[in-house]
Amino acid sequence: MEDRFKYGVSLYSFTEDFGSVMSIEEGFDHIADTGATGIEILGETHVTGYPTPDKAWLDRWFGLLDRTGLEPTNMCSWVDTKLRLGQSLSVDEGAAELVRDLTLAHQLGFKFLRPKFGVISADLVPDPIWAPAVERVLDLAHKLDIVICPEIHSPTPINHPVVHGYIDFIERTGTKNFALLIDTGIFQDRPLKSWVHEVPEGDSDHAKLINGMKVNPEELVGIAPYIAFIQAKFHHIDDNLHDENIPWEKVIPVLKRIGYTGYLSSEYEGVREPWVAIDQVRRQHVLLRRLEAACDAVPA
Amino acid sequence: MYEFQLIQSTGFRNHGPEGARDGVEIRLRLPNYRGMRLSLLDGIDVTLDGEFFSHEVTSLIVGGRMYDLAAMRDATTVRWAMGEHASVFVPKPGGLLPGIHHVKVAARVRSPYFPPHLQPLPVHAERLATIVLP
Repeated sequence: MEDRFKYGVSLYSFTEDFGSVMSIEEGFDHIADTGATGIEILGETHVTGYPTPDKAWLDRWFGLLDRTGLEPTNMCSWVDTKLRLGQSLSVDEGAAELVRDLTLAHQLGFKFLRPKFGVISADLVPDPIWAPAVERVLDLAHKLDIVICPEIHSPTPINHPVVHGYIDFIERTGTKNFALLIDTGIFQDRPLKSWVHEVPEGDSDHAKLINGMKVNPEELVGIAPYIAFIQAKFHHIDDNLHDENIPWEKVIPVLKRIGYTGYLSSEYEGVREPWVAIDQVRRQHVLLRRLEAACDAVPA
Repeated sequence: MYEFQLIQSTGFRNHGPEGARDGVEIRLRLPNYRGMRLSLLDGIDVTLDGEFFSHEVTSLIVGGRMYDLAAMRDATTVRWAMGEHASVFVPKPGGLLPGIHHVKVAARVRSPYFPPHLQPLPVHAERLATIVLP
């Protein structure tokens, strides 16, 4: 049905497995077996020979897409504004990083590119070069049919100057090739029980990460036209299919109400051990599909 | 494929000609979930059996070349790719005796998308590892 979500998985979910107990072939198989239709990757992690993979790797990539029937969704990238100590990237250099990744994303068949810009403050205000750098590559993104989507990620809530800045940019340029990616970690409303993140003790951002930002999912309504992609961030779904941190029962109905029909791309970021994420992702797909079916069963 | 832990078992060895060892090599997996340019790695602190070696004196061997801290900071076009091994070179004349040693590392990773006060952020690991040959 046209008005349904699309289900995907990010290979990032398998960060603790990938490269030591899991190859890219196995990653594809785990994703395909959830019934998902889309695969999300991190360019700099999952593409051997990044940013210019050789023909053998490209053949392998397209062979895996054919074999599993998965479609490439979003490729995550970075604009490393602090590549050098004490000297930030220029606008030219920032635009070149975006060109590099747009080119690769297009070559691999992706429709979305998530650049993570370097930041200049504790609440993750992106380096101001982001806007002129993106503006320079909008024509290329249009030509390649790719939407560039920065992510709204904890500790940045929806109602924040950073998000307002992105929306102002979209309105000012009128572009269809820049939009928002929502990381559902912003809706986390209960503390993580088991995740030890590499952030110093007592840091306030650390507290936000551990306890959750508790953004009200209703706030999605106000930014609905700008949402291009959703990373379905989660940390732990228990043996009773209950998510311990993310209130999906509040998030999913809002997404249905605003008519979102894009991807929900699983992004497991729980306990950092191998062999955990594979089944956690499967649990999440059952949970999300159940909630969607329940919404669909209610006459509008 | 990597061994799961940051400090790899294989590749822990003495460095330099036999009989004239000039240090120790510790092989690592990439201390990050994404490949990165070397200039984003601000050196690696190492402690061998309680003896501390600052990131200012250790070097990194990657892609067949050795980079000291200054060279690392300048290496904005060299990548340590996911799946690629690299070794920390610890200057220790004579090296280590064959046997089991306590090895501790802190890889100082700079992630531009992290808040400024969290850069660099050390990635820590420690374990017992074995030197086979003198």
